[in-house]
Amino acid sequence: MSKVRKIIDEAKESKNPELDLVDKGISSFDEIPSLLTMLNLTRITLTHNRISVVTPALANLTNLEILNLFNNQVEELPTSLSSMPKLRILNLGMNKLSALPRGFGAFPVLEVLDLTYNNLNESSLPGNFFMIETLRALYLGDNDFERIPPEIGHLKNLQILVLRDNDLVELPKEIGELVRLRELHIQGNRLSVLPPELGNLDLTSNKSVIRMENNPWVAPIADQLQVGLSHVIDYLRSETYKFVYGRHISANAPAPARLTERTKKSSKPKP
Amino acid sequence: MPPGDMYKNTQCVRCDYGFEPHEKIVNTNGELWHPQCFVCAQCFRSFPEGIFYEFEGRKYCEHDFQMLFAPCCGRCGEFIIGRVIKAMNANWHPKCFLCEMCDKELADQGFIRHQNKALCHDCNARAKAASLGKHVCHKCHSMIDDRPLRFRGEVYHPYHFNCSSCGIELNADAREVKSRPGFTANEMNELYCLRCHDKMGIPICGACRRPIEERVVTALGKHFHVEHFVCAKCEKPFLGNRHYEKKGLAYCETHYHQLFGNLCFVCNQVIGGDVFTALNKAWCVHHFACSVCDTKMSQKTKFYEFDLKPTCKKCFDKFPAELRKRLKKAYETSPRKSSAAN
Repeated sequence: MSKVRKIIDEAKESKNPELDLVDKGISSFDEIPSLLTMLNLTRITLTHNRISVVTPALANLTNLEILNLFNNQVEELPTSLSSMPKLRILNLGMNKLSALPRGFGAFPVLEVLDLTYNNLNESSLPGNFFMIETLRALYLGDNDFERIPPEIGHLKNLQILVLRDNDLVELPKEIGELVRLRELHIQGNRLSVLPPELGNLDLTSNKSVIRMENNPWVAPIADQLQVGLSHVIDYLRSETYKFVYGRHISANAPAPARLTERTKKSSKPKP
Repeated sequence: MPPGDMYKNTQCVRCDYGFEPHEKIVNTNGELWHPQCFVCAQCFRSFPEGIFYEFEGRKYCEHDFQMLFAPCCGRCGEFIIGRVIKAMNANWHPKCFLCEMCDKELADQGFIRHQNKALCHDCNARAKAASLGKHVCHKCHSMIDDRPLRFRGEVYHPYHFNCSSCGIELNADAREVKSRPGFTANEMNELYCLRCHDKMGIPICGACRRPIEERVVTALGKHFHVEHFVCAKCEKPFLGNRHYEKKGLAYCETHYHQLFGNLCFVCNQVIGGDVFTALNKAWCVHHFACSVCDTKMSQKTKFYEFDLKPTCKKCFDKFPAELRKRLKKAYETSPRKSSAAN
């Protein structure tokens, strides 16, 4: 622990605004109280530790722009985090979050939110989650979403949306309103159709990426996917597909079965 | 008969009483009046300088006659004595009835009513043309149905002119050339047919297709008016500022980076120096780092791709085994870029 204290003292001395405390066996902010007095910090990286509680006092670091808590044991977040005036990048990937606090969507300038590999689903999102208009990248891979609320259409600046390896059975048509989207990861879900509105987006240019493998697609989509992604997008834009989609929705077929692959996720609470 | 007796059996037209001997009598056209009875039918005062006006058997002083019966001019509001122009539901002095556009007198040349305005023939043609979005030829004063030719600040039918070089009758594609660059007086201008004009070697603006008489910007293999060389996105002229070319179009710095993605993924700012591109993203060289532990990486550092984020080997090895297994499987089954390109 003296090692951690030494790093903090050195950072204080050198007035370095960026603090790295990666893989230091830290299990609580109580072990690093002086951290909360370093008001000049712009980045704190606490990757690969064992922190389970994020102290509300962290929000006092009003100059913080990047907070990285990847691979910890965080189960709950303080509401105060959302009021941090300069926080642009928040990485909470690989934790044990099963809910987000009320009012979580109040971040004034958040641009990148990484919630990869947690236990989140649509009911864990607070009402204002999709009000973070400044968001340009949202990482929700390796979670338990079955549906994405239509309010996602509010994220007008979103360029990157990762929904890889969830339980999604459908996508909202509002995804077609994310005009700046250039990266969409929906591989490893239970999707069989896509909203035709997805065809509104420019996802086939050389500056765009769409990943959609490993889904139980209806035959015509699967066939186009064999030929290439641009063929899928062209197909979504066709009148034929609008008919196929309408018929599929009105048939109200049962959702494809849950995938079993991810049941061993380490973020799951131990039984 | 003594004087006075000749009126003995006569009486005043107005009051029917007789006249006293030696009394003053007014006689007009054989009618006799007491002087006090010979007054204006409206104001009962005697007629100034004996002038009266008669209307339907009554006599009026000039003032009351005009008040009651004379027309008022629709323009100056004064009474009209003499020639009255009746037009546009009003009365006018001939000098007051004017074309509402050019103030020409209309009394003798006639007028045309256009949208409740009295206009002369020329102005009517112009107004009609304007309401149809057309021009009136400055030479023949008739409407120009096809495209007009602009010359020395006026519009004309192109067929009134011939090419200054080859003499061919002009069409609307003809070009006006300022024969002495720098002189603004357009009396010096001459007209050329498009063919002759192109042979004269005057640069044509790649944006507006018009000749460039002043400063020329050369870019993208074309010439432009300084004010027409603009960002393809925001349409603001570069005016000498740096521009960026892409697929035959020019962009300002902000929009080039916004459109073509050279904003740093970490700081979201335009990348000033060298650009590090990978995973469909760009970074400032000093912002390229492992997305998990924020450790700086260089061009040469080997890294893994996780949701198109760079991940150093050390971090990737710390991922749960089941995740690494899934990622490996997905990587092996996903279509390769090389096969997609083929």
